[in-house]
Amino acid sequence: MQDQHGTDTLVLNGRRPVDGQPVMAARDLALGFGSTTVMRDITVDFPRGSITALVGPSGSGKTTFLRSLNRMNDKVRGFWNRGTITLEGQDVHGDIDPLVLRRRVGMVFQRPNPFPMSIQDNIVSGVRAHRMARRSDFRDIAETRLAEVGLWSAVADRLGDSPFRLSGGQQQLLCLARALAVEPEVLLLDEPTSSLDPRSTEAVEELLRRLTPGLTVIIVTHNLAQAKRLSDDMIFFYEGRLVETGKTAQMFDSPERSETARYLLGEADPVSHR
Amino acid sequence: MAGATASLAGATASLAGSARRGPPAISWRRRIVDNAWWGLCWVGLLAVVGVVVWILAGVASRAFSDWKWSVLWTQSTGTGGGLANTIAGTFVILVGVAILAGAVGIGAGVYLAETARPGPVTTFLRSASEVLSGVPSIVFGYVGYITLVIGLHWGYSLLAALIVLSLLVVPYVAKATELSLGQVPLAYREGGEALGMTKTYRLRRVVMPSAIPGIATGLIVALAISVGETAPLIYTASFTNAYPSIHLLHQPVSYLTYAAYTFFDEPSRAAQQLSADAALLLVALVLILIVLARVIVRLTQKYSPERGAGSGSFSERRAARRAQAGAD
Repeated sequence: MQDQHGTDTLVLNGRRPVDGQPVMAARDLALGFGSTTVMRDITVDFPRGSITALVGPSGSGKTTFLRSLNRMNDKVRGFWNRGTITLEGQDVHGDIDPLVLRRRVGMVFQRPNPFPMSIQDNIVSGVRAHRMARRSDFRDIAETRLAEVGLWSAVADRLGDSPFRLSGGQQQLLCLARALAVEPEVLLLDEPTSSLDPRSTEAVEELLRRLTPGLTVIIVTHNLAQAKRLSDDMIFFYEGRLVETGKTAQMFDSPERSETARYLLGEADPVSHR
Repeated sequence: MAGATASLAGATASLAGSARRGPPAISWRRRIVDNAWWGLCWVGLLAVVGVVVWILAGVASRAFSDWKWSVLWTQSTGTGGGLANTIAGTFVILVGVAILAGAVGIGAGVYLAETARPGPVTTFLRSASEVLSGVPSIVFGYVGYITLVIGLHWGYSLLAALIVLSLLVVPYVAKATELSLGQVPLAYREGGEALGMTKTYRLRRVVMPSAIPGIATGLIVALAISVGETAPLIYTASFTNAYPSIHLLHQPVSYLTYAAYTFFDEPSRAAQQLSADAALLLVALVLILIVLARVIVRLTQKYSPERGAGSGSFSERRAARRAQAGAD
């Protein structure tokens, strides 16, 4: 196990300089639960070191898609998938152990979910589970990661405190620090700021901008303004299909498809006026 | 809060279009119904509290009418002497049941909550556990007597008593474990999963800690039940005037409930006094167990969300609430 993790870290730190090759990619992907097909015909590349926003109306399947990138849907009853998802060219369903996959492709959720343990233990919980460091290094790791997300000055003297005493925004930053501590290559975010106030949202966005291009970020958002100011690339989903993908600025300026144009203009149902 | 209520009432009044100040008058019928329900609640509360006080006072007054501290360190002699050996026996049984029923019950609960897939097998296991919790304790005693004491030639013994008592309370522990694990937020599990933790690691480090209060409470209720049982023990442990030994088999064990139950209608005054003393000690033991459960909850929930914003003194909690209100 140690050796395996060791090599993974090498690949990560070397960042395998294959520029042009996407970090993650989906080919002819279809996802569903039981007899329902949630998404079909998804083929898309996630460029290295960029922030990609997944947008689309509620029920368009973007969260299901996001969660299948690190196989978080596996345990959901009746879930199935066809086609392939790759990480650095490796099939996430065959070539990579799911636990290693989730270390390399981290995830942050809609609502902050600190664990019921001290702030420091929260930060190092993943590091500990993967035996990535010695116990004596835990405090330094916690300090580094908390500083990275800009929380260090606020919690420096209370690393042993309960994380639930922090504000919602601080809790989400803590969860980001926890996800970053296991040194992921890709970070998936499912509407990470939808339960936060504007200032905390700004802190999270600023952090994500700072983390790229060292990290690849894929973010689901309902907030089009956020997608516009934060993301480099954008994917528009509608009714389980990928409608359009491209550079964010370009998609806002001159969307190719009428559904995209209507959605970006703020119409609730992009195709009902056909 | 008060301000919000007042303004809401004001809005209602102005909506009604009346110039009247304050909330509209409540009809006399609603008042009567309201008071009747509150009255019923109070009667229910008094019934519970009253019975508790009555039992405690009755037990205490009987025991203290001729209380001698020496019962705590004197062995029993048939129908006299002290209770030292029965106290020791009760503690040995308590510890044994905690280990046996704790291990089996918590294990079963974890299995039902975390591993078992919904299906006929799980349904069968769950209903079997429910049936087990409905079997009268004397039936457990009788079955234990037939199979263990007689069938396996164990004689009256500690092991037979522990097995029978543990079987009796395992369903409580399993149910409490299953329920408290079921209440652990999905967000903890998913958070652990998203970090690539194995299922076991996640359970041990993230899920279990927040289920501990429920599990501990269930286990301690189970222990309180087993401390108070008499029938299954008479069948399996019998009674002795000796202290408990290290032998698991062929040695009867003494326990407080036997003294409370058997000495009660003995003709000798000393025996009756021992019965009252044993009853008092049993009640005290159960109270200690309840306090223990509270202490465990208090000690293990330093990091629970409920205590997050409010742990510490009252003024600290109030400050935290104000800060929260300010932030909103």
